[in-house]
Amino acid sequence: MADTWNTDTGEAVYRSRDAVKNLKEELVVGWQEKLFSQYEMELFQNEAACQTPLDCQYHTEVNALNKAKGRRNKRIFTYTDHDRYTQYLAFHQMVGCSPTFLAERMASLTHRRSDRRTVDCSIPKSKIINWEPTEEFVKSSRVVNNAMQTMHIMGDLGPPGRLGVRENECLLITIKTDGIGTIIVKPDFNKGKEPYRIVTEGEKREVWCLTVENVSTALKADEKHREQMMYKDLYVRHKDYLNSLVGQDFEMPPVGVLRYMVNGEIVSAKGFEYDNLYIHFFMELPNNWSSLSSQSLSGVTQICQTKTLGKENVAFFSYPFSFEAFYMCEKESEVPQWPVLYFKVLSVDFWQRYRTEGYGYLLFPAIPGKHIVTCHTWRPLQTGTVSALKRFFIGGSPELEDQSYVRIPGTFKGERLSRFGFHTETTGSVTFNLHCIQQARVFVDATMLKKRRQKFFDQLGGFSQQGAVCTILEAFQRARRRMQEARESLPRDLISATSQLQNESSA
Amino acid sequence: MAELHIIGQIVGASGFPQSSLFCKWGVHTGGAWRLLSGLKEGQTQVDIPQTGDMAFWSHPIDLHYATKGLQGWPKFHLQVWHQDLFGRSQLYGYGHCHVPSSPGRHRISCVTWRPLGSWQEQFTQMFVGGGLQLRNPDLIYSGADRYRLRTEAMGTVELELGVIMRHFDKYGVEN
Repeated sequence: MADTWNTDTGEAVYRSRDAVKNLKEELVVGWQEKLFSQYEMELFQNEAACQTPLDCQYHTEVNALNKAKGRRNKRIFTYTDHDRYTQYLAFHQMVGCSPTFLAERMASLTHRRSDRRTVDCSIPKSKIINWEPTEEFVKSSRVVNNAMQTMHIMGDLGPPGRLGVRENECLLITIKTDGIGTIIVKPDFNKGKEPYRIVTEGEKREVWCLTVENVSTALKADEKHREQMMYKDLYVRHKDYLNSLVGQDFEMPPVGVLRYMVNGEIVSAKGFEYDNLYIHFFMELPNNWSSLSSQSLSGVTQICQTKTLGKENVAFFSYPFSFEAFYMCEKESEVPQWPVLYFKVLSVDFWQRYRTEGYGYLLFPAIPGKHIVTCHTWRPLQTGTVSALKRFFIGGSPELEDQSYVRIPGTFKGERLSRFGFHTETTGSVTFNLHCIQQARVFVDATMLKKRRQKFFDQLGGFSQQGAVCTILEAFQRARRRMQEARESLPRDLISATSQLQNESSA
Repeated sequence: MAELHIIGQIVGASGFPQSSLFCKWGVHTGGAWRLLSGLKEGQTQVDIPQTGDMAFWSHPIDLHYATKGLQGWPKFHLQVWHQDLFGRSQLYGYGHCHVPSSPGRHRISCVTWRPLGSWQEQFTQMFVGGGLQLRNPDLIYSGADRYRLRTEAMGTVELELGVIMRHFDKYGVEN
């Protein structure tokens, strides 16, 4: 019992003639430990009152207690999860007012639901769907409720000597927990505030003060440390296990080489003149680029009959391809040229007539990431009706001899590209999905130094900015090579050697 | 060793002639990849939309891969099937798309096509259903053997994928 009394209303201070030990009771109650009240002791002594197996169990326990020293608690007793009083006590806490109809139904619902949850939860696969849910099922399924175990600690607040009267029972504390780690304590801990007041009914209205304190021992520092070490150990072991599955290494390109990888699909083609389209494509690698011999640089899609989508006829290819190339930059000041994909769209018909539908190209993007690119196409046109008739009746149409003419012809060396006099007709468009990845050793150093993303040639060159060991070594190797070459060519012809040196230094 | 998480869903499909559809899906990778957790293939339920054309599956995808190299990036292989009211299933399309290689949330539309038969086969397909299927779908996974295969365009499958990449920057991968 508490020792502070509120003086707002006129309570009297009673001196009890009983010994102090009757008024003071100290108990340690275990979780779901059943302590009987006086009323229950008397009730369960009588075997006729036992209706459920739980009652019979209580009966045997009470008899055993009576044969032994008697119960160790006097006023404080508990209602555990299994007792039938548990569900109704939720609203009996409201002293003075009777529970409303809805509150009663709700309490019985939650109790019933938590009951059902404790039953084995494995449902056979054939019974996933309940085709004819009853109204009860529908009502109870609305409530999202974790299964909770409840325990009520009650106090018998009757006058001393007259314990065991049902009306004097009062709910002191309700503790609910679910298996996961949530504990609900009602009423909450006092935390230094004034204790709760419980007023009893009856002739002598007594006021009891209830203090709820959290006296659980906190985890000691070294125990906490031990727990943390255990977690860390667990994670390290899991990481080692993962490593052992795959291995620690990762395939890296050699030093000074950029690996450029594109995973993409040819998605669709639309807006072309004829039906039954297919695409024939190949990739072109500029200077300083190389690829593995196993890499196929060309491909043909399947022949697809178009369907009408909106206003256009579209053919779906869904053709995945994967392209990998390596870039080795010799000179630092050069801007790299990216590979190009040249494609042409053709149509075949039932009579095996092939027609060129369009030429196009796709420049692979320099920025890694996801790109959805739509390329427009054209086809060469010969003016005059003869070629149009030829195309319509027997198929065949003028084709490009050098497909790189679509972009910049391979043989082009001048300054200005002129396509004057070349007739074409606009045809449809082709859509590509590209996912580009770049990998190089220098990128590792860049992320280590936490630099912002720079342009590619800055990263591959510019060893003065980064100071990375490997780039310094590379530069040293290059300089050494140059010097060796210069020294070799020097005795042969002095003049040509100096001009060679000049060429190299200006490059 | 780098890790890749693919977390998302197969949202649904639209644009097919009839809309009582289900999807068989699978993820294929190269030899350097290892699936640490998650199911890499499955089959959705049959969805019959009441209104509209799109059949929604909302089929969850949760994959965790570890890899030793960039080759063989995972890609999806989808087969859309139609189940009619007699319980017969017929193929409505094959679709393939790569898993994105940049981290973040991606909305992917994967188009599909199905093999086309002769005039007689198409005629009977209209009445009886069935139709051509690839005898071995593995042949078309790489795309290399599709020459002279006659197909027709079908609908589109929508996927929403979230990609999380781990330790790729340690090995100098930019994406």
